[in-house]
Amino acid sequence: MPELNAGDTAWVLASAALVMLMTPGLALFYGGLVRRKNVLSTIMHSFFILALVSVTWVLWGYTLAFGPDTGLGIIGGFDWLALEGVTGEPSDTYATTIPHLAFMTFQGMFAIITPALITGAFAERKRFKAFVIFAVAWSTLVYAPIAHWVWSPDGWLFGLGVLDFAGGTVVHLSSGIAALVAALFIGRRTGVIGAPPEPHDVPMTVLGAGLLWFGWFGFNAGSALGANGLAANAFVTTNTAAGMAAITWVTVSWLHKGTPSVIGAALGAVAGLVAITPAAGFVTPAASILIGLGVGVVCYGAAQIRLRTRVDDALDVFAVHGVGGAFGALATGVFATTAVNAAGFNGLLNGNPGQLLTQVIGVAVVGLYSAVATGLILFLINLVVPIRVPDTEEEAGLDLAQHGEIAYQV
Amino acid sequence: MVIAALVSFAILFVAWIVAPEGAAVTTTHMIEAEPATPEAQPLAA
Repeated sequence: MPELNAGDTAWVLASAALVMLMTPGLALFYGGLVRRKNVLSTIMHSFFILALVSVTWVLWGYTLAFGPDTGLGIIGGFDWLALEGVTGEPSDTYATTIPHLAFMTFQGMFAIITPALITGAFAERKRFKAFVIFAVAWSTLVYAPIAHWVWSPDGWLFGLGVLDFAGGTVVHLSSGIAALVAALFIGRRTGVIGAPPEPHDVPMTVLGAGLLWFGWFGFNAGSALGANGLAANAFVTTNTAAGMAAITWVTVSWLHKGTPSVIGAALGAVAGLVAITPAAGFVTPAASILIGLGVGVVCYGAAQIRLRTRVDDALDVFAVHGVGGAFGALATGVFATTAVNAAGFNGLLNGNPGQLLTQVIGVAVVGLYSAVATGLILFLINLVVPIRVPDTEEEAGLDLAQHGEIAYQV
Repeated sequence: MVIAALVSFAILFVAWIVAPEGAAVTTTHMIEAEPATPEAQPLAA
């Protein structure tokens, strides 16, 4: 019979609260980057998802993602529908030193922030009604299956040996790819040609990035699911990669454009946090510096390439989360070591090149599924409720047109 | 209880689909939403 551990329980519950704070932090991060006429709608996307997925996760999300497998490693069954049988006692399967409810709610916070990340791609032009339907459909049909594949002991990618400590593929790659598909589907913002509009509130964005960075300690160190040395390792690698990526992004943009960008520091930190997410509990602090360096360069380059295309991924979700998530997943296959986590595997640099191939398979499968399923969901919703608002509403701004409110009186 | 919880969410979901579409955008609203342009102030002596 599994036995509860007070320290583990306290840490995981505190971590769940930290991860919860990331979604309002994301709202501020995105809110500052858009024009002032769309700040409320952008914040509302994240805030509404916080409420919405809090409910759907309890009702059916958790059992689909983590419930007993239906047989093929594809999806969980309905055994734990509305948390029937999920109690304050430890689970036999997951995190056996904490209440099953604590594990459930910790995972729920991941399910909340993942669809919220996508909202940056269709900012400033998406109809709220279509957004709500999309959020329910995507978290059910894309997030829950991918979480099951990678994190359930019965999941087929878990069985294949894919390593993803805290969600590089499940959270960031899946949402980043979905963002790219959404941006392509919904089209460019009216009148936005070439350089994107200036952010309306950079301090708001930096505050959001700070809250994300803070919450990410729960995201990654909490994924140790215990108050132990592995959590400490994940905490240190998380902070180190974020710092290294931030200073790398600033340096590259400084050399490229002539100024050390404040927004660049915020984007760089988030890119570093994304890339270390799958690796945090499998790599050393020294490796996290190399991961931060690499992702700072790669994601900056991805953002610059995106600017040269016609894809209006308004807040660069694909460049930061899609590319950063894929980079982190592959870097895990390079730097992972069982010296940090005996439950993991060694990577390429520790004599196991096969792990990198496994990670490539994981990235390809998750990316492909997210792309196809997201496109299908958007297509079907668009048949019932147009995804995009009319041009008149876009020109007036979504705050007023969709929500009947404005953010600022002066 | 599980059924009641699912039904309560389903009712909300249907309400979102049939709910009216946003606020009416009128010229007056748009003018009110425009940020005030600060007037130039003389520099203090």
